[in-house]
Amino acid sequence: MKKQVKSKRSKGKSVESQDTVDNVKVKNQKPTVETVTPTTLETAPKKAKPVEVKHLLCLLGDESLVKEYSTVFQEQGISVLELKNLNTLKTSAKKITTALELTVVSGDNKRKNLDALNNALPENVPIITSTLTETLLSQTQSLQHRHRFVGIAAFPTLISNHLVELAPSLYTTKEILDSVITLFSAAKKETATVQDSVGMVMPRILCQIINEGLFTVQNDVASPNDIDEAMKHGTNYPHGPIAWGELIGFSTVAAVLDALYHNHHEERYRVAPLLRQMAIAGVFWKEKN
Amino acid sequence: MGAGIAHIAALKKFNVSLYDINEEVIRRSVERINFEMKRAVDKNKITDDDMKQALSRIKKRTNINDLDTCDLIIEAVLEDIKVKKDLFKKLDQIAHHTAILATNTSSLSVTSIASATKKPERVVGMHFFNPVYMMKLVEIVKGARTSDETMKSATAIAEQMGKKTVQAKDTPGFIVNRVARPFYGEAMKILGENVTSLEEIDRIVKRSGGFKMGPFELMDLIGNDVNLSVTESVYEQLYHDPRFQPSPIQKQLVEAGLLGKKTKQGFYNYDDK
Repeated sequence: MKKQVKSKRSKGKSVESQDTVDNVKVKNQKPTVETVTPTTLETAPKKAKPVEVKHLLCLLGDESLVKEYSTVFQEQGISVLELKNLNTLKTSAKKITTALELTVVSGDNKRKNLDALNNALPENVPIITSTLTETLLSQTQSLQHRHRFVGIAAFPTLISNHLVELAPSLYTTKEILDSVITLFSAAKKETATVQDSVGMVMPRILCQIINEGLFTVQNDVASPNDIDEAMKHGTNYPHGPIAWGELIGFSTVAAVLDALYHNHHEERYRVAPLLRQMAIAGVFWKEKN
Repeated sequence: MGAGIAHIAALKKFNVSLYDINEEVIRRSVERINFEMKRAVDKNKITDDDMKQALSRIKKRTNINDLDTCDLIIEAVLEDIKVKKDLFKKLDQIAHHTAILATNTSSLSVTSIASATKKPERVVGMHFFNPVYMMKLVEIVKGARTSDETMKSATAIAEQMGKKTVQAKDTPGFIVNRVARPFYGEAMKILGENVTSLEEIDRIVKRSGGFKMGPFELMDLIGNDVNLSVTESVYEQLYHDPRFQPSPIQKQLVEAGLLGKKTKQGFYNYDDK
């Protein structure tokens, strides 16, 4: 197959040519690859985008979340690079079209990852970062190129459903947000764009439900199993709150609640002492005896 | 809700006495049971014969003294502690001495209702969910003085009615109405902070969380007055624990008479439907 090199912009030259070649290949093998609609082309004709977008998505952060996201993208034929070592970022930086940082609980690790991505990737490559315990604004305020960051409600168990919550910060450009939305629609996910806020929508509601489930166990109102059965059969919840908390990880649930607590200074986000214990030890006090 | 409970009990071969002081209420209840059962026959869920037999097992009662032969009496009157206590006082006098007295309350104290009787050990909560023929769950609620034997019998009968049972101690909201509070409360808090619109919150909860209904749709279906009064009741009973603080957004809807589907407007407008 012949290379078609488009050289309108020298900066993006190598990437674009790579795209074109790959797309021809992919087109012949998999007719389902996402096509940019004519309207998108009309609104952005100057950029001479290739007719078909070939994504290479770089994933890093919490291992189990990386796995969940990786599966979803790969199932739709989107190439994924699971980055385990930041040192290897340099060699692949030019091919990466979007990066997704999936460390749920903000801290040194997340900062290190965001810095590395921000330094290595060309400045218009979108970087999506999970923003459940710290707003996007707070994560990126002191960074260069903060226009290219988009927040996501990346929370265990949710990506297998149909919708992804995104949040731009004050600085995020429309182009960046649009390209992230396009990426998710290529992965057959719809998106909802919400305000940049701790916990966003679904994780915030979910963590509060799980917390109340644990308060209910702690107060000895009912057994964990009966609580789960009651919520599934009494009000059609997809999972019982205790089992759901276990799937997500109690330490992650506690971290989101702590962040809400500090952000709002409100007692309603107080972590149930039993949830705190589960977050640390992973077992109910009853099971230990 | 009494009609719904009578419906499934009769289908599961219990002899049922459907009681109300008002004959008209009884007539309408039986009409509704008739209607629902016919639909089940149309959908091939039960046979025509099942329906006829079930309906023949339902006796209409307007005299409370006729309930003296019942083994189990399930109360499903309005959620008013005084009304319930008065009724239980009466039931305690007329019911057979081995009968179990159950309340279908969703947010009042079983212990408090039981205190109106001379035998609180035979009083238990049997909390069904609407619509009763569809929702599988019954919460069996143990009041402070409910006996283990009463708990066992109530559980066994609910299971014979084809229900899934869970056991809960008598605490505000029991399990479901307590653990579900944040589903509504946090959604309204998020709306109040303008994180996104209520339509979007509903869409996110369904499409990202996998819930069958969004919180605002569900509040409109339940009725904002009913939903608010459950929240207020739990909040009051827990001495104003901030986790259960009612939302001013919902309070305003109720004050405006925008109760939800039943008034054609709540969080959403249902005029066209």
